[in-house]
Amino acid sequence: MTKRLQDIARRIGRPFYGNRRLIKYYWERTRRNKLAVFGLAFIAFLILLALIGPLLTLDPMSVNFEEKNLPPVGFTTEKSVYHIETDDFTTTEVFGTWRHPLGTEGKGRDMLAMIVSGARISLLVGLIATGIAIILGTIIGVLSAYLGGWADNVLMRFTDIMMTFPFFLLLVLIVFIFGPSLAFIVLVIGLTGWTGTARLIRSEALSLRTREFVTAAKALGASDGRIIFRHLIPNAISLIIVIATLSIPGVILAEAALSFIGLGDPTMASWGIILEAGQHSLDTSWWVAVEPGIMLFLTVLAFNFLGDGLRDAFDPKSNI
Amino acid sequence: MNNTILKVNNLKTYFFTRRGIVKAVNGVDFELKRGECLCLVGESGCGKTVTALSILGLIDSPPGRIINGEVRYGNLDLVKCSPKQLRQIRGKEIAMIFQEAQSALNPVFTIGDQIIEQLKLHLPLEHREARDRAMILLEEMGIPTVERVMSYYPHQLSGGMKQRALIAMSLSCDPQIIIADEPTTAVDVTIKAQILDIFRELKAKRQMSLIFITHDLGAVAEIGDRAVVIYGGRDIETAPVSEIIGSPKHPYTVGLIECLPDISKTTDRLVSIPGIIPSPIELPQGCPFHPRCPKAMEICSQQEPPQTTISEGHKVNCHLYQ
Amino acid sequence: MNKSWLRDYIIKRLFYSVIIAWSILTITFVLVRVGPTSPADRYLANIAASGQDVSQVTAAIEARYGVDKPILEQYTDYMVNLFHGNWGWSFSTSMPVAELIKSHWIYSFQLILLSSLFAAVLGILVGIYSAVKQYTRTDYIATFLSFIGISIPNFWLGVMLILVFSVKLGLFKTYYDTTLPLFSLANLNALILPIITLGTGMLAGYVRYTRSAMLDNLRKGFVTTARAKGLPERTVIGKHVFRNALLPLVTIIMFDLGSIVFGGAYLTEIVFGIPGLGQISFNAIFANDYPVVIAVTLIGTLLVLLVNLVTDIAYTYLDPRIRYD
Repeated sequence: MTKRLQDIARRIGRPFYGNRRLIKYYWERTRRNKLAVFGLAFIAFLILLALIGPLLTLDPMSVNFEEKNLPPVGFTTEKSVYHIETDDFTTTEVFGTWRHPLGTEGKGRDMLAMIVSGARISLLVGLIATGIAIILGTIIGVLSAYLGGWADNVLMRFTDIMMTFPFFLLLVLIVFIFGPSLAFIVLVIGLTGWTGTARLIRSEALSLRTREFVTAAKALGASDGRIIFRHLIPNAISLIIVIATLSIPGVILAEAALSFIGLGDPTMASWGIILEAGQHSLDTSWWVAVEPGIMLFLTVLAFNFLGDGLRDAFDPKSNI
Repeated sequence: MNNTILKVNNLKTYFFTRRGIVKAVNGVDFELKRGECLCLVGESGCGKTVTALSILGLIDSPPGRIINGEVRYGNLDLVKCSPKQLRQIRGKEIAMIFQEAQSALNPVFTIGDQIIEQLKLHLPLEHREARDRAMILLEEMGIPTVERVMSYYPHQLSGGMKQRALIAMSLSCDPQIIIADEPTTAVDVTIKAQILDIFRELKAKRQMSLIFITHDLGAVAEIGDRAVVIYGGRDIETAPVSEIIGSPKHPYTVGLIECLPDISKTTDRLVSIPGIIPSPIELPQGCPFHPRCPKAMEICSQQEPPQTTISEGHKVNCHLYQ
Repeated sequence: MNKSWLRDYIIKRLFYSVIIAWSILTITFVLVRVGPTSPADRYLANIAASGQDVSQVTAAIEARYGVDKPILEQYTDYMVNLFHGNWGWSFSTSMPVAELIKSHWIYSFQLILLSSLFAAVLGILVGIYSAVKQYTRTDYIATFLSFIGISIPNFWLGVMLILVFSVKLGLFKTYYDTTLPLFSLANLNALILPIITLGTGMLAGYVRYTRSAMLDNLRKGFVTTARAKGLPERTVIGKHVFRNALLPLVTIIMFDLGSIVFGGAYLTEIVFGIPGLGQISFNAIFANDYPVVIAVTLIGTLLVLLVNLVTDIAYTYLDPRIRYD
């Protein structure tokens, strides 16, 4: 079983490791796009954060009411405390400390730790959900294109139906019905977000299938499976990579949006959940809303830059 | 000299790109006489089309620019004209017909609309009048069922009809000069014959002055009065067509004529000129043809050959004839 | 041009749309019934607190709402009801779902309409300008800004706008005032921040798509022909090029509209407290009021079907080469 998977992985990866010059060519073209390089750098930073961060920061879930609502380092806010004895308020200045460099939220939880935890979740969601969606979309797309006939019809009608559901509304509906656990959310996003990929892969496969190298392979007696795995998919790899990179931000935002409405996994501190909490305390602790948002924004931006750069690099007609 | 309707002097059009300066037109001189058909002859990539586009100022301006030369039309130098002046000349005084009719026509507008648009732009016509005139033009081009064709979209017409519609459109405002860029290249032989017929008629009936750009020496022989051979962005030989074909002087022209297969002779190999045309980014020093020239001398790689007059109306740019 | 095949196509598509709508209804219905929620859920705490027998009361509630009947019967009942215009009963607001929707749809509609207009008009203009002036500084800035526009999470943008303009600067209220008459300037004023929130992402999208569609067409042969005819540049770009760019533009817009607009509008309504369909769906979620959630999802879906059909028809007018037969 694993040998089979290894086989498939090797076949799909063949155009890459087997052809170092090709990879270098694409890498050179990507590298010239400064925005794409920035995107890649930020993503690398994010991965680093997600891997090492939890070891270096405090526990994101540990509540500490003493230190609640601290601003980030360098900022000061005022805290008004009501004294029942004097029937009056005293206002003290509250400083940010290095103990909580990004401040704390309403229950005293450390913002930095929560941001790092959020990074982990977003990356996990992004990678796994996109992975599911891409694999599903590619299989359906390739099968549909290659089998043609009524199989193509049925698969495309099914895709049409799934596509007509507005993506977000469908997510809300399903998570609402079945409950918000992170694993489930990831699964649902993956199982509902494949339609765009399927369409794109199908049209690419259709155009590839008419190319002469496929006819030549058939003339040499290649079986359908062999043609799909050894010829069609490797040629579509660059398209798949671009689609994947550009789908990740949508997936991350979907999870964040779900958390924002309250349908996120309450046991986790994802960026969307932090943002939701911050929304209600804008006047007292604005940083709780600003920080996760900035992270989300930069992450999405990074993937968009990278995806766009990759797409231009792979497109033979664009002059880089 | 009074017979000259257009004169191009030392035209140079360069494209400034990231990979270097593309010297597409690097010193072209010729003149067009009233009522004649002048052929610009040369291989693909020698600068013929860019020359034609430069005449009308249709060069894409960020990378390209006419850096030198003048194009005299009447008292005007088209190179120095303002965009507004150019617009009054384009389509009305000097019209251009492009190579591939399918891509030259706008796919989302009907043939009728596209012709009427040009008519109403330059002439003070009502829509009705413009429409009638368009239909007459199409009829003159030999297009059947004109009423219906007017409402057709380009993709609904055959290749030959498209080309004819394009020609009709260029004639619509009775221009003085028509520049045809390889009108017979992208079509099959039967349509080519029809198109050449049309041009012959234009010359005869309307006394049209024609610049006919092509690499097809057969078409040159059929329809041209004089020819200018272009190589490496420069004009290297100018002569009446009979002399170009009968007694070519420049080694390149000689080579071109010899390349034509003669059906009456038996040969083992077809003749061709060795080597490939120079890249406009890296033009050779001196004469652009010298790397491939069987008669090259040392001076050819150093100095650009000056123009020599061989006989009345026959000029060559070659060190051999100094 | 003879378009007799168009009528047949429309009929086929309507028929097809009905089938899709029906499939979606069925899928939604099955999802809900398979799910673990029940109309009794919102009362569970109360039941337990008042000391009654949970299972008994639950059974009674479920009987009342018809949830205990066999699935097939529930399904046919539901479909028949739907056909007669009965969309169910909203538990949390104690009114028929249909009425709930009727009183709230206008808020969603005005938000989506105004945002779309803002985004489309501005986006297309900037996109055209950016394409025509490719490689200039303006183009680079516009492209960079459009990247930012599509990357900003729109719900966060809404929160940030509220933070800056309402909390810190006090220029706008932090929530939408429903007492304002719809066609008033004050209403428009209150909608400025929401429109910016929903419109920014759409705007950036329009700029990108228009720019790329224009660029695809700017180098085509007919453009040189148009110039050679002596047409002024603004006609060449505005009429000849743009008309051809409209084709890919419309495709992408239709694609976007389906998925992004509804999600975005939903979130914008929640952030600003605009009582549109998104907001009531949101409220319904926490009240376990599933008929409302289903209804809103269905409406979104039907709208997408409608937009798809209209766009496909518009397509045949935009590109005379397209035929559906």
